[in-house]
Amino acid sequence: MTETKIFETAAEANAFLDSLGGYVEPKAVTPLKGESAHEVAVGPVHAGVIEPGHFRFQCMGEDVYNLQIFLGYQHRGVEDAIAAADGNRSRQIALAETCAGDTSIAAATCFAEICETRDGKHPTDEDLRLRELLLELERVANHVGDLGALAGDVAFLPTASFCGRIRGEYLNMTALLCGNRFGRNAVVPGGMRVALTDEKKAKLAEWISRVRKDLDGALRLMFEEPTVLERLEGTGVVPKETAEEIGLVGVARRASAELQGDVLSRALVRRMEIDEAHARIASLLGDAASCRVTAITAPHTGDAASCRVTAITATHPGDAASSRVTTITAPHPGDAASCRVTTITATRHGDAASCRVTTIVVTVNAWRGPLVHAALFDPDGKLLRYKIVDPSAHNWQGLAYALRGEQISNFPICNKSFNLSYCGTDR
Amino acid sequence: MLKALFERLRQGFKTGAFPPAAPNLPPDFRGRPEIDSDITAEDVERAQSVCPVVGALSRDVEGAKLDMGRCIFCGRCAEVCGKIRFTKEYRLGVFRREDLVVKSGEHGYEPPKQTDPAALSLKRSLQLREVSAGGCAACELDANVLGTLAWDMGRFGIRFVASPRHADAIYVTGPVSKNMQLALDKTFAAAPEPKFLIAAGACAISGGLYERGNLPATPVLYIPGCPPHPATTLEALLRFTGSL
Ligand code: SF4
Repeated sequence: MTETKIFETAAEANAFLDSLGGYVEPKAVTPLKGESAHEVAVGPVHAGVIEPGHFRFQCMGEDVYNLQIFLGYQHRGVEDAIAAADGNRSRQIALAETCAGDTSIAAATCFAEICETRDGKHPTDEDLRLRELLLELERVANHVGDLGALAGDVAFLPTASFCGRIRGEYLNMTALLCGNRFGRNAVVPGGMRVALTDEKKAKLAEWISRVRKDLDGALRLMFEEPTVLERLEGTGVVPKETAEEIGLVGVARRASAELQGDVLSRALVRRMEIDEAHARIASLLGDAASCRVTAITAPHTGDAASCRVTAITATHPGDAASSRVTTITAPHPGDAASCRVTTITATRHGDAASCRVTTIVVTVNAWRGPLVHAALFDPDGKLLRYKIVDPSAHNWQGLAYALRGEQISNFPICNKSFNLSYCGTDR
Repeated sequence: MLKALFERLRQGFKTGAFPPAAPNLPPDFRGRPEIDSDITAEDVERAQSVCPVVGALSRDVEGAKLDMGRCIFCGRCAEVCGKIRFTKEYRLGVFRREDLVVKSGEHGYEPPKQTDPAALSLKRSLQLREVSAGGCAACELDANVLGTLAWDMGRFGIRFVASPRHADAIYVTGPVSKNMQLALDKTFAAAPEPKFLIAAGACAISGGLYERGNLPATPVLYIPGCPPHPATTLEALLRFTGSL
């Protein structure tokens, strides 16, 4: 989904970019007082091979009363570096790809779409098909990895081991298509650097059908195992109303909106999305005609709910004919504040260049939820500011909420069920 | 229980034969680069103009140089300059920083062998404590993958451990952001002597696309890539302890 917005002043444009949101961490450590009050602080360096963040569990006896999440350890100035690299697109897109490694393809797609909107040059349908294919493989790989990790955290090792291996298969499929397991360096503004040959297509189709059986077997084991279900069900609940109020997006929002909002729901949503992604991959590998459907652009798979997008008229890049006027309500997914009605007119195709301060906002349905990239250009086309809003930024509050009233020992599965990106949030 | 066993039987044994068998690399894999000796100044400039990383490509009196410690292996330079090629050589880990620099005219690469007795003593047990310091988590993910049954590095006695107190080496990834500097220094300090530092990925080695903070010691093993392929990492770790 691509939008162009034109502002009279840079201040207004900056204010708009700020309104897209980000994680606001607690101001300071507020101590909990009381006879049975105690605090457990963990991080930034955790026990596993994972990213740094500082968690402070404020407990009343056994129960977690409040969880404070402090981030920022991964901050390395991705946005500023992208703005500073204006004019060097290969550097810019490489920076965008390294904002969150597990979301490289979605990030590159965002950046590429911004450039494409700016230039009015759009990729061919074949390139879009490959882009989307990679995006869906990224989704499956990550969801499979997360389900395996979840099984591991409740000590159900068969699924944990199977999924760890199967996730690798999907990364290798990505590497088959473009040479890199994370889909790095494949997407470029205006197209793709690699072609989807018939040989690769055939190999991928065969590979997927083989791995799919193993995956189904592994997941069936987990979801049919009473001891696993017992641990996941009713743990870390975020009710629907709360999810809406705190503006959850992506998997977490869907789990609260469509299911019960517990750890099991978030696991089931992943399983559903794995199925949906496979269906999408099958159609992408099939006939060319079905390539037009807009899975990248917007309300893909149930995320429609979290996108709150009410009316979109042809925002798919490459569909030139219908991209003249676009009316979009609530451009930003999940961010209650900016969800008021906004009408945006006159998109892409050249108009942008001739105007005042222009902001191009791209939303891609990444595996965690909507990933938003926004770029602010001055009248001469110089990039003034670049902003990235990872879906994780909206969901940390949900994780903190999920843990209320739970025991600390349930933190790993709650955390895994969200699996938020530290580096994506910290940028 | 029975269902799990049947599923295991159906899926079969899945641990790869690497090593000693050759790893299964993707057809478009980009490994160690090669630069022809007749590369000109203009060629280098053209390649530099498309390179996303500052300082990855350079040229001096000795000829052209490609610093694998900075390179993200995007292959753009090879696209515009036929004198640069990426081979399928995945054995990229080296023990000295300068060995990461590929010079024009070099051919017949053989990865360095371990001679340090302290490293050789870790041959049957190498315990690593990973510190993620400001990167994008791709290096972490592909290090984690070595623990899965597809690679099963546990069979070589290599493990990632939870505490630096149990570690022989600190395995650092990421460009060491300002906010991770203290945590990294403290983690390294907490490991018992003798201890090693391993730098994995372009960020940890040189900063890559970013500016790097300080490493708490000079690394004894450099594993280049963005991120390094798991085969590269596993081979480097094994060669580091003299197992290969
Ligand atoms: S492959 Fe390495 S040296 Fe070549 S352009 Fe990419 S980053 Fe630069």
